[in-house]
Amino acid sequence: MNMQPGVSISSSSRVGAARIGIGGPVGSGKTALIECLIPAFAKRGVSLAIVTNDLVTAEDAERIRRSGLIDPARVAAVEAGACPHTVIREDPTLNIAAADELEARFSDVELILIESGGDNLASTFSLDLVDWWMFVIDVAGGGDIPRKNGPGVLKCDLLVVNKTDLAPHVGVDLARMERDSAKARAGRPLVLTNCRAGQGIDAIVDQILAKVLFR
Amino acid sequence: MTASLDSGLLVALQHADSQFPSGGFAFSQGLEASSQLAARLGACNFEDFLDVQLRHRWAGADRVALTRAYRLAGDLAKLTELDLEVEASTFVEGLRTGSRRNGAALLTTHSRIGTTGAAPYRALIGEGKALGHLAVVQGLLWRALGLEETTAVAMGGYQAAASLATAAVRLGLVGAIQSQAMLAKALPVIVEVSSTPVADDEPLRSFTPLAEIAVALHGSSGQRLFSN
Repeated sequence: MNMQPGVSISSSSRVGAARIGIGGPVGSGKTALIECLIPAFAKRGVSLAIVTNDLVTAEDAERIRRSGLIDPARVAAVEAGACPHTVIREDPTLNIAAADELEARFSDVELILIESGGDNLASTFSLDLVDWWMFVIDVAGGGDIPRKNGPGVLKCDLLVVNKTDLAPHVGVDLARMERDSAKARAGRPLVLTNCRAGQGIDAIVDQILAKVLFR
Repeated sequence: MTASLDSGLLVALQHADSQFPSGGFAFSQGLEASSQLAARLGACNFEDFLDVQLRHRWAGADRVALTRAYRLAGDLAKLTELDLEVEASTFVEGLRTGSRRNGAALLTTHSRIGTTGAAPYRALIGEGKALGHLAVVQGLLWRALGLEETTAVAMGGYQAAASLATAAVRLGLVGAIQSQAMLAKALPVIVEVSSTPVADDEPLRSFTPLAEIAVALHGSSGQRLFSN
């Protein structure tokens, strides 16, 4: 029985740009990854917009706007009210509204990247908000991160292990970290990246094109 | 004998619950700014801040807008006019924008779950024909859910107080348990200020200058956790 006279309980599919989440701990390189993804998607002819969730004001949004890589109007910032998990999971409405607004303003947008505001390993994206999401960890954060079995690492559609170039400098056995990641994810997708050198970026774009945009 | 449950009460609990996705967690109504600017504007005591917000903002402005919106019974054209009144009577840009974003976020959830009037009003906002201030949206939606006017007002007052309390906890101004004691003290205030009748054309009034000055000063700050 529906006890709410004004509510018609039905599932409805959304029509519009695909939305993907980019989560991961503070400092893991999410913004740097986005700065690599923007030109990579441009090369493949994918029209983008971006929503950032900064912990404090619009730091990441401003960085992307000033990068010269994308029309600054296509970048929206959503404050997380000190709750970076809430804004992408328990209450994603502000992000949904921001993405809807970008979609309405730029009718050619095919893909909206939604960057979380810096999480811990327990962070996950609501599927109310995104169609697919990746989780970014980095080598300098510790080679044991994949073994901690955080929900972010386990549940994401794609795990990105970033800053591979730092492995020898921080005492991390990269091959072991890759094996541990693959084991934790039971064979689900995993990409190693070094954003400073652009390594691994095409592999991420390929995944998104195939699994999200069906190209 | 088992007493029968009031389904309206359950609906009210669902929609007043902070778990209901509404975006409200991202707004502090000037509490963050007031606490950070205490050296310039004077000490910020959360209990006093809460009392001032309820008596001098919510009672005469948000409560009135919510009540009037409720009585418009889904008349979207008249709701857009009321929205303009809220816009004109909210002096500080950060509070105006916050109220609109919070209203849009609440409408987002209701549009998806199919609450009557939500999708059309959201479309008007998208077309630039409505502003979607929170109190107006609350009145529209809670009426559509079949809730009583007094229940809708109670929900609005409770949410105003509870969201400030959670913001105070996240800002480290009070503890989570302490905040509940303060919230309990605020409930009679909500009852008291809600006893003032609202005419169908009641003007919107508020007077919270210190909080507004704090929001205005804080607007360009690079160190904000909350939207306002």
